[in-house]
Amino acid sequence: MALSRRDFLKASAAAAALAAATGGRLGATDVHAAEGGIRWGKAPCRFCGTGCGVLVGVKDGRIVATKGDPAAPVNKGLNCIKGYFLSKVLYGKDRLTKPLIRKGNKMVEASWDEAMDLIASKFRESIAKHGPDSVAMFGSGQWTVFEGYAAAKLFKAGIGTNNIEPNARFCMASAVTGFMTTFNSDEPMGCYDDLDLGDTYFLWGANMAECHPVLFSRLIDNRLKNPKVKIIDFGTRFTRTSQMADKYIRFNPQTDLALLNAIAHIIVRDRLYDENFIRKHVVFKKGKTNIGYGLEDKFKFADDPKPMTFDEYREFLKPYTPEYVSKLSGVPAKTIEEVARLYADKSRKVNSLWTMGFNQHVRGTWVNNLVYNVHLLTGKICKPGENPMSLTGQPSACGTAREVGTFTHRLPADMVVMNEEHRKKAAEIWGVPAEKIPAKPTYHATEMFRALDRGDIKVLWVQVTNPFQSAPNLSRYRKGARKGGDRFIIVSDIYPTRSTELADVVLPSASWVEKEGFFGNAERRGQQWFKMVEPPGEARNDLWQTMELARRLGHGNLFPYKYVEKEMFEEYRKFTLGQGKDLAPYEAYTKARGLRWPVVNGKETLWRYTEGYDPYVKAGEGVKFYKNKPNDYKAVIWARPYEPAAEAPDRQYPFWLCTGRVLEQWHTGTMTGRVPELKRAYGGAVCEIHPEDAKRLKVKHGDKVRVTSRRGSIVLTADLRGRGKAEKGNVFVAFFDENKMINELCIDAYCPISGEPDYKKCAVKLEKA
Amino acid sequence: MNFRRWTIIRRLVQVGVLGLIASPLAGFSFFQGSLAAGELLGIPLADPLAALQVVLASGVVASAFLLSALGVTLFYWLLGGRFFCGWVCPVYLLTELGDKLRLLIPAGKLEIPLKTKGWMLLAVACITALSGVPFFEIVSPIGMTTRAIAFDGRSALLCLAGLLLVEVTLARRLWCRSLCPLGGFYALVGRVAPLRLRFQPARCSSCGDCSRVCPVAEVLVPSLDHGTEQIRSGDCTRCGRCVDCCPEGALTYCFGYSDQGGPR
Amino acid sequence: MSGAEEETKRVSRRHFLKGSLALPLALTVAGGLLTVPSLRRADARGFYLRPPGALAEKCFLGACIRCGKCVQACPYRAIRLAETDAGVAIGTPFIIAREEPCQLCTDLPCIKSCPSGALDKGVTEVEKVRMGTAVIIDRENCLSIRGLRCEVCYRNCPLIDRAITIEPRHNPRTGVHTIMEPVVHRDKCVGCGICEKSCVREQPVIVVQRTPLPQQDAYEF
Repeated sequence: MALSRRDFLKASAAAAALAAATGGRLGATDVHAAEGGIRWGKAPCRFCGTGCGVLVGVKDGRIVATKGDPAAPVNKGLNCIKGYFLSKVLYGKDRLTKPLIRKGNKMVEASWDEAMDLIASKFRESIAKHGPDSVAMFGSGQWTVFEGYAAAKLFKAGIGTNNIEPNARFCMASAVTGFMTTFNSDEPMGCYDDLDLGDTYFLWGANMAECHPVLFSRLIDNRLKNPKVKIIDFGTRFTRTSQMADKYIRFNPQTDLALLNAIAHIIVRDRLYDENFIRKHVVFKKGKTNIGYGLEDKFKFADDPKPMTFDEYREFLKPYTPEYVSKLSGVPAKTIEEVARLYADKSRKVNSLWTMGFNQHVRGTWVNNLVYNVHLLTGKICKPGENPMSLTGQPSACGTAREVGTFTHRLPADMVVMNEEHRKKAAEIWGVPAEKIPAKPTYHATEMFRALDRGDIKVLWVQVTNPFQSAPNLSRYRKGARKGGDRFIIVSDIYPTRSTELADVVLPSASWVEKEGFFGNAERRGQQWFKMVEPPGEARNDLWQTMELARRLGHGNLFPYKYVEKEMFEEYRKFTLGQGKDLAPYEAYTKARGLRWPVVNGKETLWRYTEGYDPYVKAGEGVKFYKNKPNDYKAVIWARPYEPAAEAPDRQYPFWLCTGRVLEQWHTGTMTGRVPELKRAYGGAVCEIHPEDAKRLKVKHGDKVRVTSRRGSIVLTADLRGRGKAEKGNVFVAFFDENKMINELCIDAYCPISGEPDYKKCAVKLEKA
Repeated sequence: MNFRRWTIIRRLVQVGVLGLIASPLAGFSFFQGSLAAGELLGIPLADPLAALQVVLASGVVASAFLLSALGVTLFYWLLGGRFFCGWVCPVYLLTELGDKLRLLIPAGKLEIPLKTKGWMLLAVACITALSGVPFFEIVSPIGMTTRAIAFDGRSALLCLAGLLLVEVTLARRLWCRSLCPLGGFYALVGRVAPLRLRFQPARCSSCGDCSRVCPVAEVLVPSLDHGTEQIRSGDCTRCGRCVDCCPEGALTYCFGYSDQGGPR
Repeated sequence: MSGAEEETKRVSRRHFLKGSLALPLALTVAGGLLTVPSLRRADARGFYLRPPGALAEKCFLGACIRCGKCVQACPYRAIRLAETDAGVAIGTPFIIAREEPCQLCTDLPCIKSCPSGALDKGVTEVEKVRMGTAVIIDRENCLSIRGLRCEVCYRNCPLIDRAITIEPRHNPRTGVHTIMEPVVHRDKCVGCGICEKSCVREQPVIVVQRTPLPQQDAYEF
């Protein structure tokens, strides 16, 4: 049964009589008739970037149950254990329900008017005194499209600053710059169907088994059906993914750069490449080398791309012999040869999948480029079942942070502020003079927190994220936040976090189905949901909060909507049309279980740049990288060398520290930490140590160990039997635990091109505590 | 004699034992376990009766355990066997409290012979061997008390309150005097123990103070009547109350055997 | 021997017959009567999850002197002592896995602390511990068997990939996903109960039970 919104509202009116207590709007394309008084509505899962569809059961204005949506193509009714407990994440005992204002060391309850007046006055004051670049917004890949769009519009077109960044800078930025430098358009050409259709899968720095559980289940099913399927896991830590892979290839941290070049070396050396594809679709380029690590404040980098020939590229690859790279990476030369041959095997449909191992990397952009190189050399790209695929960690890292463009340098739909035409187009849609949008990007996330520490940023508003637990080199930025002076920090969240504790104003937010929303997942699928329950107490939508600030700053005219979400979406959609990023009309999303853009004439696109699938590719063109106009519609193979990590183990700090996630907990644990079952399943962060290292340190399983880097120190329980097996000389710690903030130890070195910090590599020492 | 030297020392020791048993709760680690088996400063201690029961019940022979039980037996042999009862056992302290309560309420006057303990010991051995469980460790008020102290066993405390009730209303010091098989065991050991009470009849003024405070007056009185030099009975707990209360100093502790023994 | 002494002896003998013998006998009977029902009660309670190294239940009940040293030795406070309702097992150590399971300390301090041999000192490696066997008692309610990506028990198993493994099979309901079923291997499972504790269902679907006795036959598979 399909309902238009109006029908739906009518239906709800009847339901409201039943659920008189709240009158919360239930929303769905198929609202099942009351089933034990429970009404079900569709929504994407609140957690990772997979974008599973769920049905939310509401009774008496409260979420009483959730279940996997059998009609959702992503998960077909399944969920991981986090998704299973979705109904509980909003109902923790300590939900924030009233605005809080700092009075000395105490947070005092206040009315919305007081809080918003205070915030607006601080914004006005700071802008008047220090200019618009003294105020900033730090948002999220968990923002709904509306929230991100409103924030970007307010800051770029209203306040007139590019001081807006999402936490996606901490997790996806290198994937973005990888896509942009190679294809000049963000986001993958493939989709999840590739998991069913391919037969060879290389996983790079991705623990899919835990971090993309439902997708991994799909990948394994492919292997169950097809004995040809091979899964090869490249990693620096033996994970549950490694356990289920056909082959686990351990390499020394940072040497993925060399490995991918060695694979390309073999492919080129043995002429295993697809000459025809290269001639038609590829250009070669090189950029700057020795590009630094961004460790110093106000670090600036601009690449200087220079074209090169295939022969020059061949020369560039010369040093990356399997023997040399074997020494560097610890992977046997024979294995490298085998892998290269698998990549090039004409009878195999090869896919590469990666996540944070690539992105959180001081050469994140490069390593993204390098994996595309291999696919472009072999022509194994833009075909059903044969693609490189960047997986995402947040529900709308793609939909909001990347597509809406809530980065300092971006505008919606692949546009950037540095480009005058882009600014003009944005200004036109937003109804502001083109000069209003500043042409210079300001700070990316890490630099934003540095600027706050230095005092260049005075007022910072944090929405839907927890940077004072998730930023690297955390101690500096936590101290910086409370240095006083003119600094004023606003944090909107649903629970008290390690960030709200540093705030001057804490705003209680509505979450997930307490508001109408729209997420975009890792396969370009946009998914919409309606508001189904009222937020608790006085908690309010972040979208409302942003628009309220706009109104108080005199920018209310930027948001002249009646049905805010729909009208805002239709406005945003104008950016995407004709750009190969076309979104469907809002109405379509209210009915569908998500649609993969570009959606042209109501048809979604499974494979971009591919004839027969992508409406932008004309008949007879086969593959066309039509977004890469500057490179003659060709993709770029980049000569990117191996360069060492920002901080490698030495005598004083002899271990590599890697951080990451576990299946049961998500990100900083703000939501999953409120679910007792998940807490019981994985309660606190531990330190995975290799048994031989432990033996040398006289540490047993369960002992306390002190882990110390040049930036911080923390005591953790040693884990020698865990789900993840640290390699020799490596330790691993999950970052979700708010009582064990491992990010204090992480180095704030970042990829100079993407600005994304490297959470996966820094040097630490261990002592028995 | 008004200064009750031995009683004060004994109370300190008794409270000290309670403190030892409770010490792990406070995070100390110099003592672990209970009176059934413990470890003091790394020295393993074992209740000989418990060890005997384990062998009888399960046939498990843990040599270290038996050795430490032997050591403990030797220790109490040196100090007079039921020295354990008088100075160490928390139940003894409890029944001493019962004794005080008896002054406040109408108390039962049932008398059960001291020797019953010995038979109880035999009975425990038989039931243990037949049932395959260390029977006394299950029902022992000593075990219950120590567990209640060390591990917060509330229902055990209930049983002990019951015991106190029986003590007050039925018979004076019923458990410690007549029933406790462990007491029975140590009474056997105490018969041949070198630490004894010395009686100097010449000093005795027959005031009877000692027999009024003695928990096992029936073994003290005959010795006094006979004017024997030592109280040799295994039932004597070497508690020293008679020593403290004798105004003439006729009763003292002594170490070693005298030929002229009184009734056992 | 004087007549008076002889009299004393006779009196004591009579005394003995009347008091010393009759009473203990009566008490013995009473004690026995007390023991038998409590023994039966202990049996009726079924399975106690004993600390690592515990002898077979019957032998354990005989060898354990209820001293509580293992309780004090456990750094996780997983071991507790049975209360009076445990009948014959009163004062014996046991573990409620759902509340706090055995964390299988590498050096097994509980076994080291046991004086009487009720916890077998021969068990020196955690792999050799046999406290019981985990069993998925409720397949219908197991989220992993229903195709969800749970497997919390598996990932928390201290003998992961040995005591519990994942047996993937096709999920016909979705057609494109895998059912990742946790499977317990009796020869490797030590019965620590960490899986039981970690199970996310309200009633754990995986619980530690008494290890079934092996039954011999001639088949090799």
